[in-house]
Amino acid sequence: MAGLDPLIHAPARLQLVTALSAVSEAEFATLRSALEVSDSVLSKHVSALVEAGYVRSRKSVHAGRRTTWVSLTPAGRRALHDHVAALRRLIDAVQ
Amino acid sequence: MESNRGAEDPLAALAAADDARQRLTTGLRLPVGFYPALAGGVAVQVGAAAYGIAAQTVTGVAVALAGAAVFLGVAAFLLHRFSRTNGVRVDGLASQVVLVAGARASLAYLGALAVGIVAAFQSVWWLVAVASVAAGIGCALGARHWWRAYRHDPAAHEGGASPRTLGLLAVAACLGCAVLLVLG
Repeated sequence: MAGLDPLIHAPARLQLVTALSAVSEAEFATLRSALEVSDSVLSKHVSALVEAGYVRSRKSVHAGRRTTWVSLTPAGRRALHDHVAALRRLIDAVQ
Repeated sequence: MESNRGAEDPLAALAAADDARQRLTTGLRLPVGFYPALAGGVAVQVGAAAYGIAAQTVTGVAVALAGAAVFLGVAAFLLHRFSRTNGVRVDGLASQVVLVAGARASLAYLGALAVGIVAAFQSVWWLVAVASVAAGIGCALGARHWWRAYRHDPAAHEGGASPRTLGLLAVAACLGCAVLLVLG
């Protein structure tokens, strides 16, 4: 499947990067609620995408509580755009 | 979400991804009193700037600087509240609030500021007040217009100046005013 990005082809990863494309940065807990997954699942996908350079994460402290903020990098945004375009081509080809 | 069905079915994969994005954005709320506070902050800034420019004195520059500080304080507070309430940061919103991005809002702001400055030079203070309020309302309406567009298509409207860029611009603006204050 030409143009499909194996790093974000899995539904969980595609949902994660698509959700992130709507905001500049999101708190880990907010993402977890939006994606309806566990901490460990989200953490695993975020780590993999950070390693690929598609996602950036940073630690922050608010009112004594540690939080993690996650954002899409320009490379991640491009990858999402290309992947969605490839999926749409695939859909068009089938239809 | 862990199902692999979406990977096999592109249509289902895209639909699930859109659902996830919608779940994240439909719950976003502006802080209570967002528009009146923004309008008030802009009105104070425009009024102070008009007075300061027309006065052409050290006191005038100090008043203009104080007005800018009030506006930046209100903007920073509103953006912080938005971020804390929703657990997300949206640079497009920050640009709307701090830089008055958007053609209509910019036009309303600059037009009202120009009227305010001319009125201040003529010492027509009621017109300065009217122009300040008009600038505030124009900016608030511009922000509301952007918010509606963002809710309709978040990915297309989330972009804007980063907090670092906005911080640098604010520091540069304040330093410029401070230099004017010292030279004056």
